[in-house]
Amino acid sequence: MNYLSQPRRDALAAEYVLGTLRGAARKRFTRLLMQFPALRESVAMWEQHINALGEQIQPVAPDPAVWEKVKQRLAFAGTSPSNVVSLPLKTNPWWKGMSLLASAAALILAILLVQLQPVAPLPAQQFTVMQNDSKQSLWLIEITTQTIETYASKNVLQRQQNDYQLWMIAEDGRPPISLGLLPQTGLSSLPKHPLFAQLDIAALAVSLEPLGGSPNGAPTEVLYVAELAVL
Amino acid sequence: MEHEEHLRLLGKVTSGDEQAFAQLYEATSPQLYAICLKMLRRKEWAEDAVQDAYVKIWHNAGEYRGGLGTVLTWMVSIARYRALDMLRFYKVRKEEEIEDNILLSDDDVIALSAEDKKQLNVCLDELEETQKQAIHLAFYCGLSHQEVTHHLDAPLGSTKSMIRRGLQLLKRCLGI
Repeated sequence: MNYLSQPRRDALAAEYVLGTLRGAARKRFTRLLMQFPALRESVAMWEQHINALGEQIQPVAPDPAVWEKVKQRLAFAGTSPSNVVSLPLKTNPWWKGMSLLASAAALILAILLVQLQPVAPLPAQQFTVMQNDSKQSLWLIEITTQTIETYASKNVLQRQQNDYQLWMIAEDGRPPISLGLLPQTGLSSLPKHPLFAQLDIAALAVSLEPLGGSPNGAPTEVLYVAELAVL
Repeated sequence: MEHEEHLRLLGKVTSGDEQAFAQLYEATSPQLYAICLKMLRRKEWAEDAVQDAYVKIWHNAGEYRGGLGTVLTWMVSIARYRALDMLRFYKVRKEEEIEDNILLSDDDVIALSAEDKKQLNVCLDELEETQKQAIHLAFYCGLSHQEVTHHLDAPLGSTKSMIRRGLQLLKRCLGI
């Protein structure tokens, strides 16, 4: 493969690390990176050299609030626990899906939320809105060409001792595949799982997990399920 | 040695030592924040990037491999990839902003004494001035080819090949 010739590999790896490899080329390279260990080695080598430049930048101390937020996100001792009431958990199994009515409401809410975004995200291909039993919107989830962009609404119950984890449920019946941890506030960009484009996705699901995510690779307690809508 | 101290702390972080993580944060966050701030150029985004980076560092501390650069370099990689993701997501900059601000001044980069000068700097000094400048702008400020082109007032094609040639020369000089 052309990509794997040594000079090509080095050139692409260097520009990937430097950050000048952008758009579709970066996406292609990221995909190849998952397939070819030789490319990963090139990237690791360039990271070692190019990123050493970062040690020479004039340091700027961040606001102390940043450390407080890091501690809160990692639920370190000494951080104040949330004073919220316990979450009413949805006990229906994820494979039962969700109603058409909820899907329609999710579509409308998602369009409203998208319009309210202050900055232009990558063009989304698919999206969904996770809702609780009271039809409150919790997360807007957008699938772009290379990432999964997630936005937490103010309705998300803050959990100091747990993480919320996002899963994709394939139509072929295989076990749910983890897509990463969802933010409890603000937004977070998750890498798009390579199987996302290859499988027919029946739904996305959110589970409640111990900090750091599922300990055994399977959802511990499924809270919410939503189908994806295509834009 | 700074690296040995970082390595000692990171080792403790792998076993969940919060105190060691706090010390590692204290020692390294000004570097990571300075990079994110330079790339994203907005305080709140830089703070978000730093937060995300340290959450990842906590969870992935065991993935650091000693043979591939210092602990700080590894941490810089994590922070820069996060900032690059955010740059793509927010499409942060407009061309006018690049003109209106000084992107990188001599004060931004710490001048190293001759004995501290790393091989990378020695090799960078062998590049043409514009080549070095283009690589610095891409690295420290997260500029794309187009943005570097705009800033250096050079044709896009020549910027691309200038960066590519510069990286090739670096590779040769670094012996990699």
